[in-house]
Amino acid sequence: MYRYDEFDHQLVGERVKQFRGQVERRVSGELSEDAFKPLRLMNGVYLQLHAYMLRVAIPYGTLSSKQLRMQAHIARKYDRGYGHFTTRQNIQFNWPALNKIPDLLEELATVEMHAIQTSGNCIRNVTSDQYAAAIDGEVEDPRIISEIIRQWSTFHPEFTYLPRKFKIAVTGHDNDRAAIKLHDIGIVIKQNELGDVGYEIHVGGGQGRTPLIAKKMADFVPKAQLLAYLEAVMRVYNMLGRRDNSYKARIKIMVHETGEVEMRRLIEAEFAKIDASQMLAVPPAEIDRISAYFASPEFETLPASSDVLEAAKTRDADFARWVRANVVAHKQDGYAIVNISLKPIGGVPGDASDVQMEAVADLAERYSFDEIRVTHEQNLVLPHIRLHDLKTVYDALHAHDLATANLGLISDTIACPGLDYCNLANARSIPLAQEISERFADLDRQYDIGELKIKISGCINACGHHHVGHIGILGVDKKGTEFYQISLGGSADENASIGKITGRAFTEETIVDAIETVVTTYTDVREGGERFIDTYRRVGLDPFKERLYAE
Amino acid sequence: MAQHSSKGARFQAVTANRLSDGEVVYLTPDNQWAETFAAADITDGPEAGDALLARALPADFELHVLEPYLFEVLQDASHFKPASVREIIRAAGPTVRLDLGKQADAKRES
Amino acid sequence: MPNKYQLIREGALCQDEWIYSDEETALSEAPTIISLSRLKAEADVLRARNAKLGVQLLADGNGKTQLGEDVHELEPYLDMLSLVSIAFPTYRNGRGFSAARVLREQFNFDGEIRASGEVLHDQWAMMRRCGINAFELAPTVRLETFTEAMSELSDAYQPAADDQRGALWQRHK
Repeated sequence: MYRYDEFDHQLVGERVKQFRGQVERRVSGELSEDAFKPLRLMNGVYLQLHAYMLRVAIPYGTLSSKQLRMQAHIARKYDRGYGHFTTRQNIQFNWPALNKIPDLLEELATVEMHAIQTSGNCIRNVTSDQYAAAIDGEVEDPRIISEIIRQWSTFHPEFTYLPRKFKIAVTGHDNDRAAIKLHDIGIVIKQNELGDVGYEIHVGGGQGRTPLIAKKMADFVPKAQLLAYLEAVMRVYNMLGRRDNSYKARIKIMVHETGEVEMRRLIEAEFAKIDASQMLAVPPAEIDRISAYFASPEFETLPASSDVLEAAKTRDADFARWVRANVVAHKQDGYAIVNISLKPIGGVPGDASDVQMEAVADLAERYSFDEIRVTHEQNLVLPHIRLHDLKTVYDALHAHDLATANLGLISDTIACPGLDYCNLANARSIPLAQEISERFADLDRQYDIGELKIKISGCINACGHHHVGHIGILGVDKKGTEFYQISLGGSADENASIGKITGRAFTEETIVDAIETVVTTYTDVREGGERFIDTYRRVGLDPFKERLYAE
Repeated sequence: MAQHSSKGARFQAVTANRLSDGEVVYLTPDNQWAETFAAADITDGPEAGDALLARALPADFELHVLEPYLFEVLQDASHFKPASVREIIRAAGPTVRLDLGKQADAKRES
Repeated sequence: MPNKYQLIREGALCQDEWIYSDEETALSEAPTIISLSRLKAEADVLRARNAKLGVQLLADGNGKTQLGEDVHELEPYLDMLSLVSIAFPTYRNGRGFSAARVLREQFNFDGEIRASGEVLHDQWAMMRRCGINAFELAPTVRLETFTEAMSELSDAYQPAADDQRGALWQRHK
């Protein structure tokens, strides 16, 4: 894992001090709320329905056990005993008092974390593949370049007042778990015929009011030129992106309105100028320095299978189900990737208590080379678990209600905080996720339904990724009452697609029945082992519409 | 942001969030900010609503609260309640965590 | 137009010798800042004028989508210009940060680049990093506040238009 050097420590420390001054000036009345708001937002402090909310960045979703323990500590000392993991690999605290936030940030800095640029119209936390350096078939650990991008984009003097927020995601694998085509910039690490590593760049994806899939802008940007290329994209966007209407201010709208060809020409012209200066070519010695932090753990040489594991599976059917659903093959023989579901049946998606966070931190320290990952689907990952430790890890997780065996299944729902917390929301999301998971609580039924991603947003900003849910649900407000619109056929992976709306919205009372209708329609018409998304792509929207709106 | 008050609203109250901790507060008849909806001043008629909001905006309000606004209140038999789901949730707390927010404070006190 | 601001140039409070002109008034011998449209329309005449000339680059107002003026349009006139005033109509509109860097790094403009309009405390240091060396600030801003703000962050992660190299490079000098 990356470790701060003196330089990082100093800058983050100075930033905390600066924010402390800003809070003091706000409380004393020297700063008006108008003047203070952009400053607090740039430090991740929002005002939500019931209280302030602080969003802490988890760069590329990687945490050490010490860092996760600090989140537990913060939850206990400054909040109400829990945190919420978000779709952008961040963690949010829902109840901090404004005048305590500087202290909180100071404690956070001691574990090399911060809340810088987790809000505002700037370059946000860089996200990546939660299986980085654990999954087979990766070109390169995506966290190396993600860390370089993190540093380049932090306090960027030119790109802190962009037309709108800006999100970058990186993957080093053909199976996209980072939703790169739904980001302002999505980066796929590639190797060319000569064996050189470079980057395929996608620009202009995003959700919100106008969901769009990113366009491929470059097939292969060589390693040394990546920052120059990114700076070119950012500058073109900063100069020519729209600021007249916040719904049209994301780069996706610019790409859409300018056209892919012209956009590519603008970027390449700017890139040529920046690249000529060689100013942004990162020294190979610095790339080596950062790479060294992500060196592979010292894996033991182990057999590819484990008798201990097999015996445990035979003894304990629940454990066997959990292994089948939540454990993924590791690149190293004798190891596995463990997914920790934060979607217990009837629970709040993405929430973890202080005690749960500490339990996961302990397991990571003891069994997973001190590493935890956070996924954009609001779960946690222990990336490197020995096969023969799986049962021990499972038992410990189970004791903390963290062993729900539902990864990728219908109850593994993404949901934004919705109207229970969020100031922008039109409807609640969490209760719906809870009701759906209770309706489908029977795990055997969930396995029979198979991979099915439900994603719920409480407003058109789409923080709950409803556009790319196999089943998407959007909460809308009609005169102060909640309604829910269904869309089908979305996907966030390498075959990204935007879901289509089925028709008129459902009430709070009828929406869960409607979801059940969609699911039974699928199980009725599926062929062989077809997944929901495959069936949808084969039969289209009509069979679902007919059943949903049959009176 | 969701609409707070509809044009035809008869009963209205003013709410805001407290600067120090973001707590939801309501403007009371004696121009204080109280933590419970029950203490809110409720006005009858659109003009009275405007006058109420004006009372929430003295020069020094920014030292205490953020973004005061009017919201619609309904009269149900003998008591008042906020009209929108949003304001019901603000007045009580998250519906998915009944142990948190004002609803929990009320339970502890009773 | 009377100056309703105080000018901080190269970190010091100073008398502003520049005046902003409108589209029609005949230019005096005083250093004068004009619009880009006037610069383009009267370039030949202005080239013959024997006094300092500046131009203000607007960040919005162009067309239906309110685009800003393109800094690249200044390129043919750079030899005539001693100053570019970059407008920040609201603090949210950060187009001018890019314009300043293009002027400094791609056009090698070495005259004054000043920030005008709504410029917040937290933006001053970033503006300086982008090559802006003069600030039109509200008369209430104290010079000490400005000086402090400039040194709140002692270093930078990335290169820009100033002499800071950025951590990724500095670690391997």
